Amino acid sequence: MTETGPEPGAALAGYWEIHCDATLQALVDGPTCPDLFRRTLTGYLSWHVRNRTTIERVLTTPSTAVAWFAAILALGAEVRVEGQGEVPVDAFLERRIKGRLEALHIPLPRPGAVPLEGVAWGEARVARTHSDEPIVSAVAVVEGGEPVVIRARLALTGACSRPAGLAKAAAHLVGNPLTLDTIRDVATAVEAEVMPKGDFLGSTEYRRAMAGVMARRALEECLAGHNTETGTGCAAHGSSTREGGHGR
Amino acid sequence: MGAKLESITITINGEPKTFTVDRSETLLETLRRASYFGVKNGCKSGDCGACTVLLDGQPIHSCMTPAVRANGCSVLTVEGLSQGGKLHPLQQAFIDCGAAQCGYCTPGKLLTAKALLERNPDPTEAEIREALSGVLCRCTGYVKIIQAVRRAAAVLRGEEVPPFGPVHVILPADASPAQATEHYLERTHSGELLGPLVITPPEMPQLCVVGQPEAKVDGVKLVSGRPAFTDDIRVEGLLYGELLTSPYAHARIKRIDATRARALPGVHAVLTHEDLPRIKYATGGQSYPNPPPLDQVSLDSKVRHVGDRVAIAAAETPELARQALRLLQIEWEILPHVLDPEEAMRDGAPVIHDETDTEGIYDAARNIVHHIEAEGGDRAAQWARADHVFEGVYRTPQQQQCHIEPHVCITYWDENRRLVVRTSTQVPFHVRRMLAPLIGLPAKQIRVIKPRIGGGFGNKQEMLLEDLCAHLTLATGRPVRMEYSRQQEFTSSRSRHPQIQRYKIGVTDDMEIVAIELYLIGDTCAYGTHGLTVQMVGGQKALTLYNAPYSRFVCDVVYTNKPTPGAFRGYGAMQCYFGLETLINEIAGQMGWDVVEFKRRNWIKMGDELLIAKALGEGREGFEQQIRSTGLEQCVQAGIAATDWYEKRARNADGRGSLTEPTMPRSDILEPGETGATRLGQGGHIGPIRRGIGMAVMLHGSGIAGLDMAAATIKMNDDGSFNLLVGATDLGTGSDTILGQMAAEVLGVPLDDIVVYSSDTDFTPFDKGAYASSTTYISGGAVRRTALAVADQIKKHAAAMLGLESTEGMDLRDRQVFAADGRSLRLETVALSSLHQLDQHQIAATESNLSYECPPPFAAQFVEAAVDTETGQVTVERIVMAVDCGRVINPITASGQVEGGLQQVLGFAHCEEMLYDEQGRMVNPRFGPYHVYKANEMPQLDVIFVQTEEPSGPFGAKSVSEIPMDGFAPALADAIHDATGVWLHNLPFTPEKVWRALHDRVL
Repeated sequence: MTETGPEPGAALAGYWEIHCDATLQALVDGPTCPDLFRRTLTGYLSWHVRNRTTIERVLTTPSTAVAWFAAILALGAEVRVEGQGEVPVDAFLERRIKGRLEALHIPLPRPGAVPLEGVAWGEARVARTHSDEPIVSAVAVVEGGEPVVIRARLALTGACSRPAGLAKAAAHLVGNPLTLDTIRDVATAVEAEVMPKGDFLGSTEYRRAMAGVMARRALEECLAGHNTETGTGCAAHGSSTREGGHGR
Repeated sequence: MGAKLESITITINGEPKTFTVDRSETLLETLRRASYFGVKNGCKSGDCGACTVLLDGQPIHSCMTPAVRANGCSVLTVEGLSQGGKLHPLQQAFIDCGAAQCGYCTPGKLLTAKALLERNPDPTEAEIREALSGVLCRCTGYVKIIQAVRRAAAVLRGEEVPPFGPVHVILPADASPAQATEHYLERTHSGELLGPLVITPPEMPQLCVVGQPEAKVDGVKLVSGRPAFTDDIRVEGLLYGELLTSPYAHARIKRIDATRARALPGVHAVLTHEDLPRIKYATGGQSYPNPPPLDQVSLDSKVRHVGDRVAIAAAETPELARQALRLLQIEWEILPHVLDPEEAMRDGAPVIHDETDTEGIYDAARNIVHHIEAEGGDRAAQWARADHVFEGVYRTPQQQQCHIEPHVCITYWDENRRLVVRTSTQVPFHVRRMLAPLIGLPAKQIRVIKPRIGGGFGNKQEMLLEDLCAHLTLATGRPVRMEYSRQQEFTSSRSRHPQIQRYKIGVTDDMEIVAIELYLIGDTCAYGTHGLTVQMVGGQKALTLYNAPYSRFVCDVVYTNKPTPGAFRGYGAMQCYFGLETLINEIAGQMGWDVVEFKRRNWIKMGDELLIAKALGEGREGFEQQIRSTGLEQCVQAGIAATDWYEKRARNADGRGSLTEPTMPRSDILEPGETGATRLGQGGHIGPIRRGIGMAVMLHGSGIAGLDMAAATIKMNDDGSFNLLVGATDLGTGSDTILGQMAAEVLGVPLDDIVVYSSDTDFTPFDKGAYASSTTYISGGAVRRTALAVADQIKKHAAAMLGLESTEGMDLRDRQVFAADGRSLRLETVALSSLHQLDQHQIAATESNLSYECPPPFAAQFVEAAVDTETGQVTVERIVMAVDCGRVINPITASGQVEGGLQQVLGFAHCEEMLYDEQGRMVNPRFGPYHVYKANEMPQLDVIFVQTEEPSGPFGAKSVSEIPMDGFAPALADAIHDATGVWLHNLPFTPEKVWRALHDRVL
């Protein structure tokens, strides 16, 4: 329990609610924390940083937990703003909405489900080292796929002026089977859709190229089917070959 | 001030404490104000973790936590870790494993580990690394910290733990270390907690204290968070000094008006260039006379880089001092600037040092500070022998030392009207000498005290704050404290000289290197400090490793408008080795030679003279040098065995990148019906990840021949113990401990009986300071001589007590002095007699040491890396380093030096670089964007020592502190080539750089 209410995440009908004053660490420690969250909240973010950073802080300053922000974008999360109801996170960011942030809602495939059950997700990033801030990162969340994709969302960081959902690119998947060919089409569409801003970590050209590569890799991970939130078989975050996995 | 004050109550280490705080005050500030000095300041931006405390059991960065947030909470600091005077198992494990080097990050590590073990009593290594990733360490490479946490976890689980120490293997120098190495690595890779492997020749006698893994003499105070560092002190009447720095890369101050600044209540002094005498000096802490040019003054009317000094203020609070500086009215004349050294040398480039009172600049109009030429051998004859000529251009970055403790200095008048300078410095005696003329005081009126230093790595081999702080104390009559912010550490302190190296190497068909030429451009940026000596050391080390019959060194040291480099561990050698060893590796590849055999054929051997050493000293002519000890062959053999070098190179050559096994990487999933074999036929690999292995060999030096001098004093106490007073500065290197071990060895006592005190210009004899890898060799030599002199006095007095005519056959051991006839006296008895009873006198001695030799330590470095060929991201997976540093005085502290050095060179080669925009402003002046390696991304580090006996060294020792820096970069370049077929010449190997190189080549 946190001081301010129930566990950071509570599965309510139709969505999973996370209080915005919860810390990222409380989210990671929670029994219902999805592996996608664990993976995008560790490595480049330390325990210390997670202890001091609230969900509200990330929503207002995505750079504080950039890969996780991409994850909630890709999940189609909404933020409940006091007096204004639920606003999609991408719209909240774009419109710079002011107000007290009460809760984050993650839509669930079916009411009461374990969070994210039935969806496949993939995540990829490139950085100077595997625990550095990502230069470009991507999260893909796909529902369906066999025979066709029902819903797909793709979010990238480091490829536009702020973290962004790439609806146009993701739309290439909907209604089609999830195959390497369709994934490559999406990657090409991503490279066309992004508008990266270069800096000392990566030029515009590099970021654009990596946007395509990361999007492709995230979707390939969905295709591989390892990352479905059934509580088993989820991909480990390979941060060291000593643990048997290789960092991305 | 108009501050909003609030009363808060925090339970600190079990005791409720009430504070009145400003709402903007951080928990760090509150705790340090309340004298919890174990909570350290490192960055004030939540990046380094030195300020870690447990807030309601959770590790947090107290610098990012408002004090009011802790109201009603419980806070645990390191001072609360031990209970009833008994160290917590974590603290004991840190001591046992040698996990505290400088100790500055130690409290943060301890507290985080405590929180981890409370939630997870049996964490894996990966979990420990992940948990500790929020506390940076620049000294240890995290190896012994992880080992300590694992050990403590076992103790807390009630398990028995064996003593922690090195693994010794006796092996003749001409025997292969392969089996010993493989056996050792089997044990460590299976999870056994072991110190380094130490391979020892059978003729090397085992000693009692020297060579033993003694616990550090300062270990308890470091793990307890005792107030040991410069800023861990309350000073009555203290004022806070702040520094205003330039926002421009190159500008003149046309007018500066401090009227409004000085009028601000609470401000006691504001000083500009108009207030201080224009006395020229160089900031580098080097022996007298400082190498020219003396191109700086304390505050100048011209600024030469963003971050250059403009003015200083002293006030009741830091905020007031900063406010005063903001009130300065400055009229600038902005001048054109130049950031690239090659452009700076061209005609028409902005002239950075156009002042008329700086002598010793080689060509000020072209911004060339120094031009150096040296050669050895017959140029025409040797080039004529070359069957093949190879050339290459290599670039190394400007890297920052990133010691966790910032520069900090406190100056005050003592009761005798002497100026006391309490400062985090590696060079207290140089600081005293250099400071005196700047402030108009004779050296006898200045006392410099060096407390514990929280890392330096060369950046504290400078006088950076001491003169400013002293000026403010002189102006105000009050104690003054100054500290660099973390941003100022990047923009206003020192760093590593970036270099451009052009190598030309001639070889014969039978693998002989006949000629090496190096044209070096050393970018000394805005000021010349260390500019001459760094480049000369680089040239000397690079041109003596293979000791070609002809070698030539031409160097231009160039001014540019960037923050000034200075001394940084490695000191030119590691930069020059990058180019040299990479080209050597390239030559072997192009010629189809076994690279190890090629290097073996040519590296300097026992008995060889270092041909260019006399021509290329360090800032002056050197001395002839001859190799009198070398374990390089065994180092290479150890590395080959440890890494299965030949098997991996062969496999990688076949596939140009080993296959990822056992599962298919998801990034290249096969279509239905497609097989691995089918895909192999198309591309030669499966997946974008390719692995490679590389190697390099290297030598360094031990002190500066004919220049470095150290002294030591030992006096005997009533109880038979000894005080050892050394000017040598322990900056986390463990020098207090190893010097104590040397004294203990000679005096026949345990280390506990040696009380070490360093370094204070009033009480300790001269030592030039901690640089040039001199402490073990030079300072150690002084300690040994002094201990022998004291031992001699003890024997004489004992002989008198025993009625013996001579001391022949007497020896000291087990706290006793033994006569040849078997009688013995306890040292305590001798001490009491000498002080109170018989021919009363103080048994004490002071001896100095200087050497005209500079025996090189040798090493071989092997690196395994994986390259993501789609992104350019390089992951270093393993480093094996085998080192010959002569006799290893303390295997735990020595291996700590190697492991810590490897963390720094990982950054040098892989990710660290000070970067600037077009206006000369640094774009990444913070730990996060700059990125130093954290605990959870370090590769596997395996350290092996191959002991030799250096005849000129104390107990046969050579240096160990800088050799770890020298070979990683070329070894990584070699590994990347082995993986991808691409040679990279431009450090660091960032993802985009690698990606461009790979895609230009079109794999």
